[in-house]
Amino acid sequence: MFVDFLITLVKILFIFGVTVGFFAPVLTWVERKQSAIMQDRIGANRADILGFTAFGLFHIIADALKMFTKEDFIPRGANKALHTLSPIVALIPALITFAVIPFGGVYTLFGKEVNLVISDLDVGLLFIFAVASIATYGYVIAGWSSNNNWSLLGSIRVAAQMISYEVTMGLTIIGILMVYGTMRLTEIGAIQEDFWRWGIFLQPVGFFLFFAASIAENKRIPFDAPEAESELVAGYFTEYSGLKFGMFFMAEFVEMVTIGAIVTLLFFGGWNLPFVTMDGILSMFDFLGETGANIIALLIHVGVFFAKVCFFIFFQMIVRWTLPRFRYDQIMKLGWKILLPLSLANILITGAVILALE
Amino acid sequence: MEHIPAPAIDFISLAPALILSVFGMLVLLMDLFAGKNKNLLVFASLVGLVLAGVSAFAPKALPVVSFGGSYVVDHLSVFFTLIFVFSSALTILLSIEYNPRNGIRAGEYYALILFCTVGMILLASATDLIMIFLGIEVVSICLYVLAGIKRGDVKSNEAALKYFLLGAFATGFLVYGMTLLYGATGTTKLAGIAEVIHSGQTNSDTLLLLGTVLLIIGFGFKVASVPFHMWAPDVYEGAPSPVTAFMAVGPKAAALVAFYRVFATAIPEIGTTWDTLLMVVAVATMVIGNFGAIVQTNIKRLLAYSSISHVGYLLIAIIARNSLGGSAIAYYMMAYAFMIFGTFGIVILLGEKNSENLEIKNYAGLGVKQPAIALCMTVFMLSLGGMPPFAGFIAKFYIFGAAIKEGYVVLVVIAVLNSVVSLYYYLKIVVLMYMKDSERELELSMGPITLAVVAIAVFGTIEMGLFPDPILQLTQ
Amino acid sequence: MLEQYIGATVMFIMAIGIACGMVFMTSVLGPKRHFAEKMEPFECGEKQIVSPHQRFSVKFYLVAVLFVLFDIEAVFFFPWAILFKKLGMFGFVEMLFFIIILGVGLCYVWIKGGLDWE
Repeated sequence: MFVDFLITLVKILFIFGVTVGFFAPVLTWVERKQSAIMQDRIGANRADILGFTAFGLFHIIADALKMFTKEDFIPRGANKALHTLSPIVALIPALITFAVIPFGGVYTLFGKEVNLVISDLDVGLLFIFAVASIATYGYVIAGWSSNNNWSLLGSIRVAAQMISYEVTMGLTIIGILMVYGTMRLTEIGAIQEDFWRWGIFLQPVGFFLFFAASIAENKRIPFDAPEAESELVAGYFTEYSGLKFGMFFMAEFVEMVTIGAIVTLLFFGGWNLPFVTMDGILSMFDFLGETGANIIALLIHVGVFFAKVCFFIFFQMIVRWTLPRFRYDQIMKLGWKILLPLSLANILITGAVILALE
Repeated sequence: MEHIPAPAIDFISLAPALILSVFGMLVLLMDLFAGKNKNLLVFASLVGLVLAGVSAFAPKALPVVSFGGSYVVDHLSVFFTLIFVFSSALTILLSIEYNPRNGIRAGEYYALILFCTVGMILLASATDLIMIFLGIEVVSICLYVLAGIKRGDVKSNEAALKYFLLGAFATGFLVYGMTLLYGATGTTKLAGIAEVIHSGQTNSDTLLLLGTVLLIIGFGFKVASVPFHMWAPDVYEGAPSPVTAFMAVGPKAAALVAFYRVFATAIPEIGTTWDTLLMVVAVATMVIGNFGAIVQTNIKRLLAYSSISHVGYLLIAIIARNSLGGSAIAYYMMAYAFMIFGTFGIVILLGEKNSENLEIKNYAGLGVKQPAIALCMTVFMLSLGGMPPFAGFIAKFYIFGAAIKEGYVVLVVIAVLNSVVSLYYYLKIVVLMYMKDSERELELSMGPITLAVVAIAVFGTIEMGLFPDPILQLTQ
Repeated sequence: MLEQYIGATVMFIMAIGIACGMVFMTSVLGPKRHFAEKMEPFECGEKQIVSPHQRFSVKFYLVAVLFVLFDIEAVFFFPWAILFKKLGMFGFVEMLFFIIILGVGLCYVWIKGGLDWE
């Protein structure tokens, strides 16, 4: 029992280390560097330690220092308690959605079964939706409590946009659930050991719909009307400074990782390499003993998983620096008039095909 | 892979609800393309109602039970289905001329009436608390919108909002009562609850009693019994006249039949504990309804109070909790439908382009200028007051008969005395029509369809009064 | 049954710790220099003319109502989708009706202009 708890703790620390400790700060740099490359600029390269710039990687440290030491600003007339609460409410859901996402399979280490997921829920996918939707409150409270017109406009837009796309997002994955017949994410991952049962082959339309909806749900360009800097100053977090401001950003970057992970898991085989089964790896490294082979398999799977996640984060960033921002009415139109009917049609067609094949 | 078998559902017994649902959606969609002309919608709605009414007779052997015992089609529910379909059809007929005159252009009006009818049919057939709740919600939500469908009119808006707020509140009580009943007995099926109570295996008698009281509050609101009647006059006054007539008959009948089913099938065993409470409610409803009606100067408010007092009589049938009570309610509601739709038909006839002429003094001199209409009005008023040989008399007779059979003599005496009081304000209108001169000339809008509705109502009121047997047999 | 949730709960508690710690750190570490002009809400250098705490466009309420409608419908899909293969043809036909009804609602809102954003 104690060992189980310890393993869980290690997994949690690993996830926090990867998301908060690694991805969130590094992505701030990646985003700048990538935009610089795409726009043929030099980009983040000024921060240096003793003359070393290391491609601007020290900007991460500089940013962190700056955020910690900035004044925590709450404007006159703002609701202090809610103003402080909202970044917390926005950040926590982003952090805990990873609890149900498996980043590897099941391994036998020293005679003990280790499942690389923090909480193996039978309603995993539902848990993600339930928790992720709570973040909306954080953004809405942020805008409302700031006593600022820009913030309020931003937060109203957030509310309308996020709830609109939540409907679509919920409907787009129905197809995947129908195909796999389970909501337990570890099972979905395990099924995809067979390359031809990857979600992208079974649900190609579902993938595009889900990806579009989830970018909109994360309010990133081209769906960033709530924080459109050329219209609303900075939208709902106009009146935030210091680390509270940074927390909204952190939530966004962690959510990018989460989206990458969910897309990987549902549509691109999760931790599985194409055509390589768990048994294949184990028999190949048979000479290392059971635990040794399992460790190798674990490393390969976790590596593969995060490599795929990195690709989808990269993909989201390319989208961001390629497309212009949609107008607000276009965003709503896309959600309600295009994605929603398409996802309903997707459900029907999936159902018909499954029945026809049986 | 083992398949989950499809549950056996007798679709024929569900036909009225299904047909109306389909037609409701059809009307809703047709409205999107119909433009200003609503005649097609009216036609489609009426066709749907007629089909539903015909299909109510389709089941060969009654009763038919579906959905694991939560939906039953028996003689009572078939008869009530007919009442609902009939009253909805009359509402739509009354609206044909009323709506354009009063600026109601929304095509949703007809769809909402159809959906409301579906809810009422569900309610009449429900034998499960959850099903009852579902029916009540469907009915209520449609009515909230219907009450406020005159969007430009402040009174109509007030009516809708008041109805919505109080109605939502009352629904809370109802659900709470159902929850406690479920907590006490462990089942939501009415028959199951009765069985648990009979075997004495309830988890807690306190919960059971508390649940019963909350149910009385919830249903009391839905049928507008005292002390939960306060919304009725305002809502009846503010809502468009056809909708008022509709509310006074259809949904009230639906709530009453659910009330009856819960109290007569699920918890009759503990009847001695709740019948005192319900008797107090019934007496208060009759007294306050009748005395409240006396002081009214607005015809719709008067009819609202009169309908409250009628609920008082109907509650007596529930207290009696025998099968005679059920058919007495059915007969009463059918008769009441004729009387109310006739009366409201005349109220609508009296309306002008800019004024609905809802003051009672507007009826002065009607006996001289429009003797036919005045005569019809007299028939309805006498029938509402319970005078022979009209339908109202027979209806009251059956209810009192059911109560006396169970030994509630005092209650019946109070009810009879109340009927006498009610005659005062009903006859006041008759006196006004024949014995007073009108203050100003009224431009009566003699719409042929509204006139036809009044004619049907007069016929029904007299027919049911003179030959009650055929209808009564249908209810048993 | 609830054992599954231990990990998520621990993670939740730790996430609260991280988030609250961040807020605490920034309020402790940052400087505090208050003066009246600085504390004004940002309005591009102007004095705030209208208070943000007032009614906003009814369009947003409409979206909220539509959300409640369609999201509740979406919830019904989840258990159905999981059991889809077991329900077979019966489940498909039932859901076909459900989607048609949903589609009628969507058509209604669409044509009535509820989805247009002027």
